[in-house]
Amino acid sequence: MASLDRAGVLAIVRNNLAEILEMDAAAIGEGQSFVDDLGADSLALIELVDALETDVAEQTGKQFRIEDEDLADLKTVRDAVDFVVGQLG
Amino acid sequence: MLPVAVDAMGGDNAPAAILAGAHDAVAAGIPVVLVGPEGLDGVGDIPLLHASEVIEMDEDPAGSVRRKKDSTLVRCAEAVRDGKASAMISAGNTGATMASALLRMGRIKGVARPAIATAVPVPGSTPTVLLDSGANAEVSVEWLAQFAIMGSVYSRQRFGIENPRVGLLSIGEEPGKGDTLRKEGFELLSRTKGINFIGNIEGRDLMTTEVDVAVTDGFTGNVVLKTLEGSLKTVIKSLFAAFASTPEMQAHADALMPALLPMYEQFDPDTYGGAILLGIDGVCIISHGSSSPRAMLNGIKVAKEMVDCDMVGSIRTALASLAD
Repeated sequence: MASLDRAGVLAIVRNNLAEILEMDAAAIGEGQSFVDDLGADSLALIELVDALETDVAEQTGKQFRIEDEDLADLKTVRDAVDFVVGQLG
Repeated sequence: MLPVAVDAMGGDNAPAAILAGAHDAVAAGIPVVLVGPEGLDGVGDIPLLHASEVIEMDEDPAGSVRRKKDSTLVRCAEAVRDGKASAMISAGNTGATMASALLRMGRIKGVARPAIATAVPVPGSTPTVLLDSGANAEVSVEWLAQFAIMGSVYSRQRFGIENPRVGLLSIGEEPGKGDTLRKEGFELLSRTKGINFIGNIEGRDLMTTEVDVAVTDGFTGNVVLKTLEGSLKTVIKSLFAAFASTPEMQAHADALMPALLPMYEQFDPDTYGGAILLGIDGVCIISHGSSSPRAMLNGIKVAKEMVDCDMVGSIRTALASLAD
């Protein structure tokens, strides 16, 4: 079964954000806030979470889910990466 | 063509009215695939794609789409995404329909947010396209420009208007009228290539031949739409009450009926069958919650028409040429 390290998770988050927000992935920093710095609205965050669930499940071969109550705590790119890495154990 | 995926469980009159409309569409030669629970009564010979869950009208749109992965709405959108259907239509939860389409079918490149485009009837002429009529309560100035481009393509493709006149819905015709969004919107639309921007319009212009595409935010658009619907219903109800008031009036009304009925039909939302969600990478028709069989039939017809004229491809081309 494939494993996913922190750099891999960061790449998934960045690439999906870049596609959803139609911006350059390289311009997305870990410390940036989804809403204040990147201009993501609530629907964009739902798109991101949905895409993360699909990509992480594909790459690890395991079901992966982010609950709505956890979503509220994910304010920055780093928050999202740390959360996914933590869930993967 | 691939069948149109019909959400059998969406809307106040589901599944009976939806199934009746779907059968009428099949009789009219349009292939349909119903999406609903296994063993659904009344399906007849129409293929049924199984979905065990239903998103109710009052459920949180994005959350319900994420939780109910086997819902009729999500399965409809997946059928289009996976090439099993050419388009989808639902009379169910509007927000959840948009979320399903957005998350499963995706957006056309260059579109920040899809918008609901509604055909507002204009007596004796082609309808005015009103967008956004409810998908995005808050919008940015840039989104207004995208709505203008998509609305122009829709007006051209569906109603045959070669160079649609685009107006920005505001509280006065002068450029300086309105709030910050309208003032900045006016500036941006004036500079936007590929559209025929004629300036600000007012609510009273919507049902006239003054404009072909009316651009606004989803909050305002929805209020305007519901106000128009309510006003028209009130006027029609009052007219019928007046007609029925005396036998003499009734006789006059009978004589006038041949002229009044076509007018009534033009104002009836069921005639247009639903609004289209523009900006999605696939055809998605959102029908009125209280859709009748006739509304569903007409909505399915619109879905087919939008597939046949490659509405999605035309919007993609228009946005791409703008980016060049």
